[in-house]
Amino acid sequence: MKRFILAFIAAYIFLFLWGWLLNGVLLKNVYAQTPNLWRTQSEMLGFFHWILIGQALIVFAFVMIYVSGFAGGGVIAGIQLGILLEIAAIGMRMGVYAVQPFPGNLLIYASIGGLIEMVITGAIVGAIYKRPAARTP
Amino acid sequence: MNWKKFFFAFIATFGFIFLFGFLWYGKLMHGAHQEVPALWRTEADFGNHFSTLVFGHIVMAFFLTLACARFVPAGGAGACATLGILVALIYAGADLITFAVQPLTTKILCGWIAGDLIQFAIAGAIIGALYKSDSRTTA
Repeated sequence: MKRFILAFIAAYIFLFLWGWLLNGVLLKNVYAQTPNLWRTQSEMLGFFHWILIGQALIVFAFVMIYVSGFAGGGVIAGIQLGILLEIAAIGMRMGVYAVQPFPGNLLIYASIGGLIEMVITGAIVGAIYKRPAARTP
Repeated sequence: MNWKKFFFAFIATFGFIFLFGFLWYGKLMHGAHQEVPALWRTEADFGNHFSTLVFGHIVMAFFLTLACARFVPAGGAGACATLGILVALIYAGADLITFAVQPLTTKILCGWIAGDLIQFAIAGAIIGALYKSDSRTTA
């Protein structure tokens, strides 16, 4: 339980900082190309707690999948899990792109950013939550 | 890994999530989506991006099948449905973040989260049921 909490907190801090760097700084100009699709800056502040809850849910589910033994153990297993989950998420993102008129380069940048995010999240969780025995052969 | 069984599970999963997506997000939630029309492509524009939608579903189905086959080698509808629900929680987290940054309604948010949970739980169960017998012989 202690390692679960430590893995959760470490991954959450990383996800929060990376999310801010990627979406708030690096992709700021790309988002600005379609202002009608996003809440205003002041409105977004009123919904900020939903970002915190959403990120917490993502990290919680990720760590749960990992500690449930589905992905085995170790840093490599964590990274593999992150890659698999992110590629599936890219599929979902493509579906959203098909129905929402945001620019194609945002799909590409967000997917690359998401892949980096999940690889590092997997590595953090794998490094902190070391399992003595893997569920997979 | 038995690729023949994997292929059948993948096709069944793709068929299910595509049909579910059409019914849940396209039909059942159509009215809710129309409350914020500025967020969506026009019918004609959507038609031009339909191939992206299909390919996205293929990617999702393939990697969900791969995750179940890789992480639940013993198979079984229950275990894979559990994995599907955990995966759905990740998507639900992403939905909450989207809700914070896009002017979606609460009705849309709830519909998306419920859709994710139902879709991935059933998709996981389908994969587990179809992939089960082979993995038991190879494990």
